[in-house]
Amino acid sequence: MNLYDYLYYVILPVLAISTVIIFIRFLKGPTLSDRVVSLDLLLTTGIGIIAVYSIHTDQPTFLDIAMILALIAFLGTVAFSYYLEKREKNE
Amino acid sequence: MKTLIFKTASNYLLPLLLLFAVFILLRGHYLPGGGFVGGLIASIAFVIHSFANGLETTRKIIKFHPGFLMPVGLTIALVAGAAPWLFGMPFMTGLWMDEPIPVIGLVGSALFFDTGVFLVVIGVTLTIIFTISEGL
Amino acid sequence: MSSPFVVLPIIFQLFLAVLLMFCWTQKNLQKLISVVGSLVAVIISVVLFAAVWKEGIYTTQAGNWVAPFGITFVADTFSTLMVLLTTLAGLAVSVFSVGSVRNARIKFGYFPIYHFLLMGLNGAFLAGDIFNLYVWFEIIIISSFVLITIGGEKAQLEGAVKYVTMNLLASVVFLTAIAILYGLTGSLNMADLSLKVAEIENRGLVNVTAILFLVGFGIKSAVFPLYFWLPASYHTPPPAISAIFGGLLTKVGVYALIRVFTLIFIPDEFMINLISGMAAITILSGGIGALIQNNLRKIFSYLIICHIGFMIAGLGIYTETALIGSVFYLTHDIIVKTTLFMVAGLIFKIKGTYSLRLLGGFYKEYPKLSLLMSISLFSLVGIPPLSGFWAKLFLIEGGLSVGNYWLVGFILLGSFLTLFIIAKVWAGVFWKDSIHIPVKMQVKYFHELKPLKRQAMVGSIIFLSVLSLSIGFGAEYVIQVASKVAESLMNPQDYIHAVLGQTN
Repeated sequence: MNLYDYLYYVILPVLAISTVIIFIRFLKGPTLSDRVVSLDLLLTTGIGIIAVYSIHTDQPTFLDIAMILALIAFLGTVAFSYYLEKREKNE
Repeated sequence: MKTLIFKTASNYLLPLLLLFAVFILLRGHYLPGGGFVGGLIASIAFVIHSFANGLETTRKIIKFHPGFLMPVGLTIALVAGAAPWLFGMPFMTGLWMDEPIPVIGLVGSALFFDTGVFLVVIGVTLTIIFTISEGL
Repeated sequence: MSSPFVVLPIIFQLFLAVLLMFCWTQKNLQKLISVVGSLVAVIISVVLFAAVWKEGIYTTQAGNWVAPFGITFVADTFSTLMVLLTTLAGLAVSVFSVGSVRNARIKFGYFPIYHFLLMGLNGAFLAGDIFNLYVWFEIIIISSFVLITIGGEKAQLEGAVKYVTMNLLASVVFLTAIAILYGLTGSLNMADLSLKVAEIENRGLVNVTAILFLVGFGIKSAVFPLYFWLPASYHTPPPAISAIFGGLLTKVGVYALIRVFTLIFIPDEFMINLISGMAAITILSGGIGALIQNNLRKIFSYLIICHIGFMIAGLGIYTETALIGSVFYLTHDIIVKTTLFMVAGLIFKIKGTYSLRLLGGFYKEYPKLSLLMSISLFSLVGIPPLSGFWAKLFLIEGGLSVGNYWLVGFILLGSFLTLFIIAKVWAGVFWKDSIHIPVKMQVKYFHELKPLKRQAMVGSIIFLSVLSLSIGFGAEYVIQVASKVAESLMNPQDYIHAVLGQTN
């Protein structure tokens, strides 16, 4: 089994299944914080998928997209937690 | 937000992300990237900084109102677009230097146009986000 | 003929907008730049018009990419005529804005956005590429969103929501149509499309695409089933903004309709019947809508719809004579509708209300102003020799020549409805005895304004009225222009050759 097969038959399925599981957590909740964390994790998994795809197609430029997505995921999580903190203060 | 880790990290992230934004801007002609994405990344850098250190600190770093970048960027883009008129060519024709500059590569009027877009995007995004976070 | 300066009217407005953004805080400087800049823009468009009139169609390829692949800008007689009218109306509204727009609105960037809007309008008229036309439409609607909401009054926001929703819907339909067209032909250049669409054998699909364009532009130009957003939103923004909206925004839709249906989709029997049917019902519904309204600006909004019907009718008749009528009507309507909304704004500034019931006694109190306002009101009706008359003459002549009697009937009916409505307005605002209107605190009345502002408002109305009169009395020249436009619309070979000829 070379690297490509390993990526294709092991890593991608793992990422796909974890996406589904995280999505279930995202839907179930129960609190907003859970949803924020699961959204962050969903995006991180997406970054993993992009990285695998980038290796698979031999396109290093996709890695930059993964990088920007990581940036946006980070910003989103920070903004959400900022908002959650503010909301708690107001209550 | 009062977390020390985030605050310290954001101080290092700001220059790093700005560098990445400039990299994306310069790479944009033949590969993915360009002024728009670069501008967004640069404004994300400032937004993260403002989340960690408060709006006022970020304002102090930028020193002027970000809205001022809009007309500046538009002017650069406009001049880059109109420059071919001096050579009797149609609007927005790409003018290229003969010799590549080290690190940056072959420089043409398209780069200046993209730089204009870069500045406009930073100006618009930061104006919008700062205005919204003021009211929050 | 190729000249890199075809895009100058567009670029100059962009330049003005950028210059105005640098003076974001200096209100008086902004006013000065806007008025002087609009004056220069008029000069530029006059020069361009004269050049095109003398030497034929000018083109430029943005970025120097050859024709069917690059973005083409084409200045033929029709588009330069529209650019000229835009800059003329733009100058008048800019002067009117100096007098009427409140400082709070100027502080939020009224003038820069206004010049972005004019840039979009000029761009839409000069675009020779259908996707580029879409981009200019987007610039127009985004600037108009800002203008319609600027100031943020409650009524304004309510109108803006309807306006934004319908215009976004129109953009989606327009974009879908472009996508299908690109899938069919593999080209976006209008001249190239003209050749390629004619060769497609699947006429059903072509007709569907044509109808999508008709719907997309129809929403923007407010024709029959799709007009209801217009009277719901045009009476809400400040008078200067509704003047430029009423005068120009719907006319871009009409321009695009005429351009697309004479160049790309040559209408067959079915399309002609569809367009004439839409035109007829548009005339009727606009006229009847205006009859029952009581608010001055709502009446004028419905009259816009009614008269859009006339222009579409010219396209529906589809002969050269009828197109002369359409183009003439477009010329006259841009000037007159802009004036009408400015007149309504002036009446509001003096009396503090738009309601026909409350207004009255205007003629007794302000006889000179009333006479000035009568010019635009009566040229709208089309009393000879004022400007509206000639256009309808050509439309009716064209309709009779192809035996389209029922459409001619509707045009006549529309004229009578307009006459009746204007008589009602005249009687209500000018002749009826005045009753006491309670003074509103938040309205800044005309007599409280500085003399310069008052002169600016009246001066811009005088300017457009003189223009309207000269269209009426100098009809000979306008007819010459309109017939050249109509001739080139019916025979697009010159246009196609001017765009694609350089490559062959």
